[in-house]
Amino acid sequence: MNISTDFYAHHNKLNRIPPMVKLSWGILTMLFSLLSPSPIIPIIVAVVMSFIIVLIAGIPSRYYLKFISVPFTFGFLTLVLMALFFGVKPSSVGFYWFRVYLDGLHTGFLAFSRIIGGFTCLAFLSLTTPVNEIFKQLEKIKMPRIIIEIALLMYRMIFIFLEEASTMYNAQETRLGYNSIRSSIKSLGLLASNLFIRSWLQGERVYQAMETRCYNGEIPTMKIHETDNKWIILVIAFEITLIIGVYFTRTIKII
Amino acid sequence: MILEAVNVTYEYPDGTRALKNVNFNVEKGQMVALLGPNGAGKSTLFLHFNGVLKPKKGQIRVEGEPIHYTKEGLMKVRQKVGIVFQNPDDQLFAPTVKEDVAFGPFNLGLGLDEIERRVKDSLRKVGMLGFEDKPPHHLSGGEKKRVAIAGILAMNPQIMVLDEPTSGLDPRGASHIMRLLYKLNKEGMTIIIATHDVDMAPLYADKIYIISNGEIIKEGTPREVFKDVKTIRGANLRLPRIAHLMEILEKEDRLPFNKPYPLTIGEARKRLLDKWRIIKAPSHPG
Repeated sequence: MNISTDFYAHHNKLNRIPPMVKLSWGILTMLFSLLSPSPIIPIIVAVVMSFIIVLIAGIPSRYYLKFISVPFTFGFLTLVLMALFFGVKPSSVGFYWFRVYLDGLHTGFLAFSRIIGGFTCLAFLSLTTPVNEIFKQLEKIKMPRIIIEIALLMYRMIFIFLEEASTMYNAQETRLGYNSIRSSIKSLGLLASNLFIRSWLQGERVYQAMETRCYNGEIPTMKIHETDNKWIILVIAFEITLIIGVYFTRTIKII
Repeated sequence: MILEAVNVTYEYPDGTRALKNVNFNVEKGQMVALLGPNGAGKSTLFLHFNGVLKPKKGQIRVEGEPIHYTKEGLMKVRQKVGIVFQNPDDQLFAPTVKEDVAFGPFNLGLGLDEIERRVKDSLRKVGMLGFEDKPPHHLSGGEKKRVAIAGILAMNPQIMVLDEPTSGLDPRGASHIMRLLYKLNKEGMTIIIATHDVDMAPLYADKIYIISNGEIIKEGTPREVFKDVKTIRGANLRLPRIAHLMEILEKEDRLPFNKPYPLTIGEARKRLLDKWRIIKAPSHPG
């Protein structure tokens, strides 16, 4: 079973770059793009990140466009709704009894740019860095072990349950389980409760299998490779440029 | 005896008796098959072999010594007896192949270099070198199985117990696993396999146990066990296809193949060639 996001996270051209670099790059860039009071920086971030994802990491552009289409639509809806309903300064533009508010349009556009900027940073992380590596980095910065262990086990189980859920779904569909809204609700309920019971049993078996290999309550981790200095310098340089950019564009409005 | 189950009885919490007075012996270096239909108690018996389950009555002895159900005792026995589970998804829990194989050795408290070496060695043995950083969900069924076996090999056990090692695999994947087990056995590992594949068992097993409804109802060499056709069929099993063919040829077509029927293709071939030579011999004088 391949979830494409997970597949690309393991198979992209940025795989060799230390995960800590990618993690700090993604998180810091997202932070500054959210802090920016002007939409300029978030939009630049969105363009740069998309450029890296498609051209440098080599994620197929078609897949990437599909990937960001959901948050993009969400951001656009926010923009429209804010322009129409949030504000005090009506403009002459409008239709029927709706009026576009100027200040609403302004905040709406800022929200839109922040959503896009922030999301492309997340897309960068999730498309170029495998989940287990992200969690290992979190351990490095002293996240409690128990949380990381549970998260990693959950991550592994997601794929097993997705597969089981899709098998069960197909089995139900074969017997016309999703023919009407009524039967869909019923079938979905059955699927969910069945999946719950199965996950319970599966948990028991996984525990037994771990016990067989002398499990004593702690999952050890492998050694983490060290971060190369040139990457750290690159990250720091980029983030400083970004901060300076945020400072100088703070009063610029596009709309 | 490297592994013995003596009068083992086990009850589930609801009172169902899963094992009734089971006696099971394995000698060092043997390859033993535990043959039985679904739900006969194969997996339950296996979980006793390294102390995951504790018998209600009776005893498990590893190298003549009863298992101590203390932390140290269990640690010791689990290093000696490794269990490979039927569904590799139950066993592979780590995010990458390497970390999964390293799990056992880590728990044994070995040093990092030794762990690295063992991970490499066992992945090489199962033919999965180069897959270290792959997540298990990107592997095929056969590959997952091999990684699960590597995870046990990395603990250097003396006995390896496998629950249905070929179930769910394609023919090539299955024969790959069987060849691997055969090789490990030749290198000195004692191997116990639970299966309901009656065609496969006579190929490798030195000894076969038949379990039905939680009881061992027959034991012996493949030839001894399959001679008792009634018991075999009574336990929801059947003869190997080859033996069945010979039985039909004898009973329906009155061809001179008498008991014990050959169990494998090799034996059948020999038997057929012998008969053929007897028939053909007169026409080729000299």
